[in-house]
Amino acid sequence: MATISATVTIEDPIGFHARPAGQIVKLVKDSGLEIRMGRVGENLVKANSPLSLMALKGKTGEQLTVEVDTDDQAQAQQIFDSIQQFLKG
Amino acid sequence: MLASGAILTGLGVGLSAVSGEVFRVKEHKPLPIPAKHQGDQQAEVESLRGAIAHVSDDLKRLAEKAGETSAEIFEALEMILQDESLFDAALTEIDSGWEAGTAFVNAVETFAELLSGDSTFEERLADIRDLAKRVAAHIHGISLGLNLPEEGRYVIVGQDFSPADTAQFTKAVVGVITIQGGPTSHTAIICRSKAIPAVVSCATAEQLVDGVQVLVDPVGDRVVVEGKESDATAAISFVAKSNDPIIPVRANIGSLEDSIAAATTAAEGVGLFRTELLYLQSTTRPSKEKQIASYTEILKAAPEGPIVVRTIDAGSDKPVPFLEMPKEENPALGVRGFRLVVPHREFIVDQLQSLEQARKDSGREVWVMAPMVALASEAAQFAEIARKAGNFKVGIMVETPSIIYEIPNLKGVVDFISVGTNDLSQYLFASDRLHPSLGSLLNPWQPALIRALGEIAKECKAVSIYSGVCGESASDPAFAVVLAGMGFDSVSSSRSQVGAVRTALSSLDKGQAQEIYKAVAKAKTADEAKSIALAKLSLLAG
Repeated sequence: MATISATVTIEDPIGFHARPAGQIVKLVKDSGLEIRMGRVGENLVKANSPLSLMALKGKTGEQLTVEVDTDDQAQAQQIFDSIQQFLKG
Repeated sequence: MLASGAILTGLGVGLSAVSGEVFRVKEHKPLPIPAKHQGDQQAEVESLRGAIAHVSDDLKRLAEKAGETSAEIFEALEMILQDESLFDAALTEIDSGWEAGTAFVNAVETFAELLSGDSTFEERLADIRDLAKRVAAHIHGISLGLNLPEEGRYVIVGQDFSPADTAQFTKAVVGVITIQGGPTSHTAIICRSKAIPAVVSCATAEQLVDGVQVLVDPVGDRVVVEGKESDATAAISFVAKSNDPIIPVRANIGSLEDSIAAATTAAEGVGLFRTELLYLQSTTRPSKEKQIASYTEILKAAPEGPIVVRTIDAGSDKPVPFLEMPKEENPALGVRGFRLVVPHREFIVDQLQSLEQARKDSGREVWVMAPMVALASEAAQFAEIARKAGNFKVGIMVETPSIIYEIPNLKGVVDFISVGTNDLSQYLFASDRLHPSLGSLLNPWQPALIRALGEIAKECKAVSIYSGVCGESASDPAFAVVLAGMGFDSVSSSRSQVGAVRTALSSLDKGQAQEIYKAVAKAKTADEAKSIALAKLSLLAG
């Protein structure tokens, strides 16, 4: 299976907090795919764990890498769009 | 063992008596200290899985019961509880020999350390640690809930009840007795709003045991062992002699739901709209559009008459997540209420501008007031901001002893004042209003409070400032009569009490209320003050 990746930006004025973390985990679980996230250039964590996502302590304005294990380019794009939406706060 | 007919005295909350069977709420047993397991790893894993599933079900139930905003919190917590990385971390702990409860607490602690030191997560951290405690408690068979019966008629007895406790009250709870806790405790406020008869600050209730029948007799400020409802002290049955009370009775509200419910009572407008209740869950600052929409809805729904809106009353003990509030040694005496104008002036301005738009959109008469004002110069500062923002009557809360002495300096500065008797008692008697064992100092019938209130009403008259009272004490019909006798222009009650207060104030004329106040003012103790008022009122009603 291919891995498709993209970069998203934390736009929420209070950073990457519990609510977007919860929304992302729900999305990941619903998709049934393996999805990983982390700071650009750093180790990624599994995005099915709200605590791991919160532990990234992402701040407003920071960029995150998102990786999706899938061959379906359109589905991956939808996931990136939704995650970006959640990070707008 | 208490003899049949034994009388336990406390402070009554409510006007009707109820009898039921005593249900003692158990004190929580402490969690066991961290321990190693007996070697059966698989059994530990199963026990952990079971406990997580159990707590998760509890959270789902709480989410269903809670309103929309709190439901979101419970859902987020459930997701954290089910976190696979957390479970994996706990498995590693079990591998290294820890029993399931300790393993889960340790695993949560690993994540908690990663999250600590970040203000965004401070509150969540406490919630997450609480989850770990619940899971460990379940594993060790310790109950953290009240485990109240669902059926039957019970009078529950405990030291005092927290908001988490009162949220668990079932329909089988017909009466409440607290050993500690005063008339302004959370328990008292909840019981008053849910119309559950209660006696608080009842030290001798310590001797009550499960299964005993008791009569909770709030009007008599007592509990009677094996008492029957026919033994209850009769509330004075006020007979309304006119259609209109001698002063208007308004309602206290904090949400749209309250506003709608208040409109079904005979309240003349709203005497206290607590705006901070809308924001206790908000992690981001509400936009003006959002504020205008919610204020307009609430104003439109409110009972006919003016609506007195209090600007945000938050402090580090009652934090609003989107306003930064550093921890304080002594939050009741810290940066709270109008003092937030220094760090957060723009939010107060936003609030007032949104209220002005909501006033126009709803077509209602809006008065605005600032909480926690200590100086006349602060009142002037608020008045300037408020008059610039909109077309309101402008006032302040009187809660600090210092502002009482500055009432003459408020002349021409504000249009009205409203006394918050809960906080005024707290600051006047130097007694934490939620302190479990200071209840008697917070009794509104304390002679010093009555004098202070009399002084406030008189000083306001002297400088032509409209005066009202919106504290818990204004929900007591007899006390409301005394307030009217002092010369206050209106009272605002908890919505379940609007009818009773209105009837009391329609049962006599202003002269009679003044006489009652004059007699009460001579009392030397709180008990004496209350007895004098009740005796005089009974004579009138008789």
